[in-house]
Amino acid sequence: MDEVIMDEIMKDRIGQLVDYIMKNCLWQFHSRTWDRERQNEGILTKTMQLLCEEPVECETAFDRCYWVDAVCMADAFKSRYPWLKGMDKAEIRLIMQGLKERMDYLTIKGSLNLELTDQHY
Amino acid sequence: MPYHEFECSKCIPERKKHAVTKGLCEDLTSALPLGYLNTIPGSISERGCAYCGAKHVIGTPMKDVIHISHGPVGCTYDTWQTKRYISDNDNFQLKYTYATDMKEKNVVFGAEKMLKQNIIEAFRAFPKIKRMTIYQTCASALIGDDINAVAAEVMDEMPDVDIFVCNSPGFKGPSQSGGHHTINIAWIKDKVGQVEPEITSDYVINYVGEYNIQGDQEVMMDYFKRMGIQVLSTFTGNGSYDDLRAMHRAHLNVLECARSAEYICNELRVKYGIPRLDIDGFGFEPLSASLKKIGLFFGIGDRAQKIIDEETAKWKPELDWYKERLKGKKVCLWPGGSKLWHWAHVIHAEMGVEVVSVYTKFGHQGDMEKGIARCEGGALAIDDPNELEGVEAMLKLKPDVIFTGKRPGEVAKKIRVPYLNAHAYHNGPWKGYEGWVRFARDIYNAIYSPIHKLALVDISKDDIRTDKGFVTQRMLSDTNLSEEALSSADLRQYTGKYDSLADLRKKVYPSFERQPVEAEV
Repeated sequence: MDEVIMDEIMKDRIGQLVDYIMKNCLWQFHSRTWDRERQNEGILTKTMQLLCEEPVECETAFDRCYWVDAVCMADAFKSRYPWLKGMDKAEIRLIMQGLKERMDYLTIKGSLNLELTDQHY
Repeated sequence: MPYHEFECSKCIPERKKHAVTKGLCEDLTSALPLGYLNTIPGSISERGCAYCGAKHVIGTPMKDVIHISHGPVGCTYDTWQTKRYISDNDNFQLKYTYATDMKEKNVVFGAEKMLKQNIIEAFRAFPKIKRMTIYQTCASALIGDDINAVAAEVMDEMPDVDIFVCNSPGFKGPSQSGGHHTINIAWIKDKVGQVEPEITSDYVINYVGEYNIQGDQEVMMDYFKRMGIQVLSTFTGNGSYDDLRAMHRAHLNVLECARSAEYICNELRVKYGIPRLDIDGFGFEPLSASLKKIGLFFGIGDRAQKIIDEETAKWKPELDWYKERLKGKKVCLWPGGSKLWHWAHVIHAEMGVEVVSVYTKFGHQGDMEKGIARCEGGALAIDDPNELEGVEAMLKLKPDVIFTGKRPGEVAKKIRVPYLNAHAYHNGPWKGYEGWVRFARDIYNAIYSPIHKLALVDISKDDIRTDKGFVTQRMLSDTNLSEEALSSADLRQYTGKYDSLADLRKKVYPSFERQPVEAEV
């Protein structure tokens, strides 16, 4: 029973984070599958590292570009969702993993956008 | 799939998959219309053609250029000045339009010779202008004139001129969006990398997908200059031809309208390793986040924050004055492409209006994904609508105002729905902090104008009373306002000038010290 409740809470919280991204961000909607995979991986990984206070790789210009989106998103998450403060790092990693899976589904695997698989820009 | 079938389009069953209602439990995997397909025969589309998309959206905003169409005069004349992309060189690119004026005899015998004469005549008529773009049209494409060869011949004979050729005839693609794509790729292929720019800052960007509608670009340039950022080129509003040949030297591509210009950003990333950062220049929060991201990228976040704090403190009380009076007003957000998603959430969050419908004339499914993701549940999303569908939607949804182009806008007026020009604006610029307040003011003026009631009076038969019925916007807008909002000492109406650009053009900016360059070993 507790597990079911926990799952529901987790689902609800992931839903809140997805809603924030969908309403306020643009990075998740690049035009091709390979672009979206790269964006989701790059930005959500860095956001998770920032939230867990882990070192973030910023060697290349592309990394910096992911990092700036991640910084703004991590700040927004922290200010909007007080429940994040009560989570330990393992829980944050878990919720960010769930967020990544949900974003991959909404923008790539379950997307109805027929242009995503076009081979050219 | 929650498709929406219009009564008026039942005779065109294919249209059903081009409209969906975003239910409260819907997400993008269950609610997305088809998009970027050929318009279905029988549906009177509001789209433009691929020639117009290339020339009049992307090519022509370049300011120091003669833009010439190789085709019948109507192609250029009937698409001329459809958008107000001004420039700081006395609007040279808007004042004149050029065509080779192809006729039947040219279709039979070819028009290359005439094209060459036209090019030389145009350069002679404007001797200070040394750059030209030439646009193929349906007629010149079908007869197979080799425009590139003619341009090369002229450049050999006149070494001080440079010419860009865009082969995007009207039929090349389902809409103007096909033209955006073609000119993006042609520009990077033919022109980028030809000019080496002088680098004057440690922070260098291309500002891409920005067309300086009523001065939007100049507003954003003000922020970039205050941050000490060198804008190498703007693609293409108020942009210079030679600056755009130097795009390869930027450190970052800041992309505003991804619909029209993501292609060149993607290619600059592949070919020159320049990353792409998508931003929103509309709305306080999205713009603040955008400036912050650019600042963070270069390690000058403090400079961005200073601008955000100053501008927000100055303009937020004015935005909130309008928000109090716009709360709950119903809006149909019916632009061409990118404003669908630039505005869908932020006009709700920052102006309090309810977006009851979104549509896009030429957007792709990716644009609809962004728009549907950003609007609230219950909104009707339509791809490539026809005029009858627009009327049916307005009669059903009863919006207080619609944001769209001038053609559907005029239709809206006929059924007494106020409209604002989403493409060319009313009293722009609408970008930037002050611009966003100007947009709110235009919405307020559209919704509360007393003209809507006066227009219902038939002066040929109705009794016209002069002693009653006098109203002002404030009398209409403040009727049901809370006492708190009415008596607020903080909130105020727009205080800016009629021309918000004049001072910007005279402004002197601080110079920032550059980092010393390490000597090469």
